[in-house]
Amino acid sequence: MSIFREKGTFTRRQFFKGSGMLAATIVISGVFAKFGYDAWAASDAYIEKRISGLYTLDEKMAIRKSHQNPEILQIYKDFLSPGEVKPVSEKAHHLLHTKYGQDIPELIKELHAHQHDAA
Amino acid sequence: MSEVRGKVLKHGEQTRTMHWVHLVAFIILALTGIGFYFNIGFINNMFGGGANASMVHRWAGVVFVVGPALYILLNFERFARFVDTITTITKDDIGWLKTMGGYIPFLKGEVPPQDKYNAGQKMLGLIIIIGCLLLILTGFPMWLWRAVVPPAFLAFCYSVHFWVAAILILAVCGHFFLAAIHPKSRVEFASMMIDGYIDAEISAHHNEKWFNTLEEVKE
Repeated sequence: MSIFREKGTFTRRQFFKGSGMLAATIVISGVFAKFGYDAWAASDAYIEKRISGLYTLDEKMAIRKSHQNPEILQIYKDFLSPGEVKPVSEKAHHLLHTKYGQDIPELIKELHAHQHDAA
Repeated sequence: MSEVRGKVLKHGEQTRTMHWVHLVAFIILALTGIGFYFNIGFINNMFGGGANASMVHRWAGVVFVVGPALYILLNFERFARFVDTITTITKDDIGWLKTMGGYIPFLKGEVPPQDKYNAGQKMLGLIIIIGCLLLILTGFPMWLWRAVVPPAFLAFCYSVHFWVAAILILAVCGHFFLAAIHPKSRVEFASMMIDGYIDAEISAHHNEKWFNTLEEVKE
């Protein structure tokens, strides 16, 4: 039986067209990749600056820990746990611990019930 | 029709392998893409839910890129010949488009002799190359750079990706119909999907210009 095959010839025109298509694809993909890399790098640089800014602000603060804040300590001594500093006192628990989601209606009821106490 | 006996090796082993890999990747990409874009439960569930379908889509996209890239690197000559064929538009191709190769009953006229690929296949080849490039260029930013590129650019990528995918899915459906179902052209099915060979008589009729350039080997 006869079998027909393509000849092994490879013309200059075929080479240039194939190379051109490949080169165009590589260039377009490269430009896109560069755009993405630059966007990524710019985002990273921004995040680094933001982190650095937050740390710098924090370092400049006179009082950096809430449990060492004299005003907070005074509030505990005068009101939340009279005569002492007791962070989880019952009053502190009720007034400072927040609630969320389906517990909110219950919290509103509780606040209404105690509104005269606070006054 | 000329009386020619024998077989023509139309597509080599690596070409057929690349075609299979690209086809399977495309089907997975199309299914997962449609599944999670339109939130179609039964398609997503085939891939383990919407989130998994999205992950399968991304990695199938990698196969979709790597398959042809490897083929081009290992078979540059074949790729260059293919590019040369589909970008060479002659009067015969225009003639084929005027009669649509005789596939449409009310378009009468003589179909001119064709290259290895007829004018319709050339158009499809160009649509697939440009379409795939657009899908790749918009797909990877949507995956890898979604947190760092401007939202307007990301929205542009989504729109281009969606519409190019829609056009390619329709084009591939048409390609499947002509290559596997239409009685006039399904004779070529085995040459790409199975053993690479096609009857010489059919090839001499459908791809006369290309057939005349082949060399005959007795076996």
